[in-house]
Amino acid sequence: MSKSILYLIRRLCFYLIAGFAALTLNFVIPRLMPGDPASIIFARFRGKLKPETIDAMRQSFGLTDEPLLMQYWSYIKGILSGNLGTSIAYFPEPVSEIISSGLFWTIFLAGLSLIIAFSLGTLLGVFIAWNRTGKLDTFLPPVLAFLGAFPYFWLAMLILYIFGFSLNWFPLSHAYGNEVTPGLNLPYIFSVLYHASLPALTMVFVSLGGWLLSMRNTMISTLGADYITFANAKGISSRLIMLRYAARNAILPNLTGFGMALGFVLSGALLTEIIFSYPGQGYLLLQAVKAQDFPLMQGIFMTITFAVLAANWLVDIAILVFDPRTRK
Amino acid sequence: MPKNIFYKIFIIGLLIMQSCDRNVSRDKEGLIIYQEQFLSWVRNFEPLNPASIPRWPTRGGIYEPLYIYNPIKAEWVPWLATSYQWKNNNKKLLFTIRSGVQWSDGTPFNAYDVAYTFNLTKRYPALDTRNSWEYLKSVVAQSDTMLEVSFKRIYVPGFDAIAGTYIVPKHIWSQIDDPLKYSNPEPVGTGPYTEILRFDSQIWELGKNENYWQPDKPHVDKLIFPAFSSNEQVTLALLSGELDWSGAFIPAIERIFVDKDPEHHQYWFPNTGYSTFLHTNTKHPILGDVRVRKAISYAINRPQVVKVGMYNYTEPAHVTSLSGPMAKWHSPDIDKKENWTSFNIEKANALLDDAGYAKNKKNQRLDKDGSILELDIIVVSGWSDWIRSAQVISQNLKNVGIKTKVRTYDFGAWIGRMQTGDFDMSIGWAEKGATPYNFFKGMMFSEYVKPLGEIADLNWHRFGLSEADLLIKSLERTSDQNKIQNIIQNLQHLFIEHAPGIPLFAEPAWGECNTKYFTNFPSQNNPYGPLSNNEQPSFIFTLLNVKKR
Repeated sequence: MSKSILYLIRRLCFYLIAGFAALTLNFVIPRLMPGDPASIIFARFRGKLKPETIDAMRQSFGLTDEPLLMQYWSYIKGILSGNLGTSIAYFPEPVSEIISSGLFWTIFLAGLSLIIAFSLGTLLGVFIAWNRTGKLDTFLPPVLAFLGAFPYFWLAMLILYIFGFSLNWFPLSHAYGNEVTPGLNLPYIFSVLYHASLPALTMVFVSLGGWLLSMRNTMISTLGADYITFANAKGISSRLIMLRYAARNAILPNLTGFGMALGFVLSGALLTEIIFSYPGQGYLLLQAVKAQDFPLMQGIFMTITFAVLAANWLVDIAILVFDPRTRK
Repeated sequence: MPKNIFYKIFIIGLLIMQSCDRNVSRDKEGLIIYQEQFLSWVRNFEPLNPASIPRWPTRGGIYEPLYIYNPIKAEWVPWLATSYQWKNNNKKLLFTIRSGVQWSDGTPFNAYDVAYTFNLTKRYPALDTRNSWEYLKSVVAQSDTMLEVSFKRIYVPGFDAIAGTYIVPKHIWSQIDDPLKYSNPEPVGTGPYTEILRFDSQIWELGKNENYWQPDKPHVDKLIFPAFSSNEQVTLALLSGELDWSGAFIPAIERIFVDKDPEHHQYWFPNTGYSTFLHTNTKHPILGDVRVRKAISYAINRPQVVKVGMYNYTEPAHVTSLSGPMAKWHSPDIDKKENWTSFNIEKANALLDDAGYAKNKKNQRLDKDGSILELDIIVVSGWSDWIRSAQVISQNLKNVGIKTKVRTYDFGAWIGRMQTGDFDMSIGWAEKGATPYNFFKGMMFSEYVKPLGEIADLNWHRFGLSEADLLIKSLERTSDQNKIQNIIQNLQHLFIEHAPGIPLFAEPAWGECNTKYFTNFPSQNNPYGPLSNNEQPSFIFTLLNVKKR
């Protein structure tokens, strides 16, 4: 057991180094982009703002000509103390506050659909691989692969058009209705679920196929292994073989994929959020890039980086649980 | 803004197929407005800091200035001041401050609030939006109704900045620790709408100021602001009656919007008086020649540009670039001057021949070293109206033998190239203002010209003219209307002679309304103010006059 703890610590060290590298890149990359934020915001007014304003804005944003090393130092210091700076596009709101507002909706929407797609896809994969000559097996994989091959925005708009606009079954935009007050009350919770259902549905639709196919394929090769034949020969119930013997081994690649997919969750299902006007992280990121809002961009990338690393560490733990070989 | 072309086509398609009888559930007491594109609202009502982006209508609707400029009538309307007077050879400016005005919390408003606001911007240069203290000496309240503004140096155009400053209450701002980081969540202003009735991330409501100084106004009790993330969402909401007033750009508006309900669906895109430009980098060896610039201008078929690029929403530019409400500044001799914004291929060819750019057998113009002459037009990617305009221009220029390539860049990259002069030609805007002073200064003032590679915030085309400098400087020192008129006429003559930039078409202001629940919006027949709510603070005229049906 101490070996596995050592393994986890080794992985943790690796993630810390990766995190530090990501932080540094996060600092460097926005600064390589052309233009400075004050000029860009000024230019957005298309001649309505007077040139004198630029200096006032630079003062407000605290844009300095400090040497990069000093900027880097204050950046690291700020992050360690949880201070991500002040947003430029939403001045004078602190970055941490803006991110937390978007983060909640993204985690809720994308996390929910990821968990649904992952568990549903994996379970279906196990099932159709077990009954691999059945009707479901001939029918489901090609249909889901077909759906997954659609350009996502196109499918999302089609669904929005049919179920949102034509049939008027679902709302066209936003995370909750304008008539409810946010808080812990039933109409609000109902409204949130109602508004999330259509975007979540599209995300489940397109990603289900991937989970299902990869699970089915590893499952089939696992089912060919000698120990399965042996287990069959021992007369163990087929349900037990399917879940405890085959699926437990076959799920490992899917688990790794899950850790990676969590990262995409936080970068926001960008297109989903734009098409359904959902107030999440992805939309924020788009705004931040367009406004050259360095502090907000950095804050968002940082949350994504750390979430991906944390998710991967959790996956490491999960693999440790599922796969005894890693413990030796 | 994200202009997803597929999305646009899709929405157009579905609007054609579908009549829009959605069951509308909306609050019929409140005027529903779209002006800002946000997916979730941030509670900020701070009017002074140019870096802050307060909720619309903070600047004008909650906080008001001394005078408000009405761009449709091209005149200053007395607001928190009732009159002004230049004194002492334009070294002093006296304002009579309106009496009987109250802040929304009941405290009386007076000249001391005004003086406090100006001195606040002196103490915090980051709040001095227009860098006024560069020419101001002092701002003092002499009594409750008299304000004296003294100048360090004479600078008459400073009136725009002074009269347009939003006045904040002394009794509130003097209690704030750091006005630079203040987001003013509970605003107290003199404007018609000051009460925050509700503020959620997706929707907020602003109620009227019961103490407002204009009797019986505003007519509407509250304003409602749902969050919209794209122009397509705005279009749908306008069509379904879930939105009353917007300043969004809508393509093919007659078909998409008006035809669905001609009685209630209205739009008005009046000319703002200024033009969109084809900027020419005058430091470029070829474009530095005025004959080439004029030839390019002659070669452009402007009606075609307006039709293909701008959905016929506007009109070809006047040769001075000033038209519509700004036409009142035109020189009386304007018709006798060369009109190089007319479409004339012969003249374009003659000018290019004269400038020494001969054609080869394939009808291509050659540079002086014999290579084929080629120029780039850079445009911001996603700004589809300007990209289409640039493509039409590119075709037009091919007819006179000039090869051009339209290149699109992301906004940040585009503005970077403009500022450092790393472009041949580009579609962009020019400076605006209550008088053409800013425009001509931006086009021809030598002190704004920076060497290539250095960042210029203005005068990207890098054109300076000493004659123009003198005129502009004398314009800054006079408040005599006749003299001002005279100088501006001379500036127009210089502009026509030197063609520092090529005006393409008049710039319209977008505004749409659905009059199902509210009426008395401004229109072509009732032009009391702009319908567009994008111009701060002139949207106030509409806010004060709209009535419930």
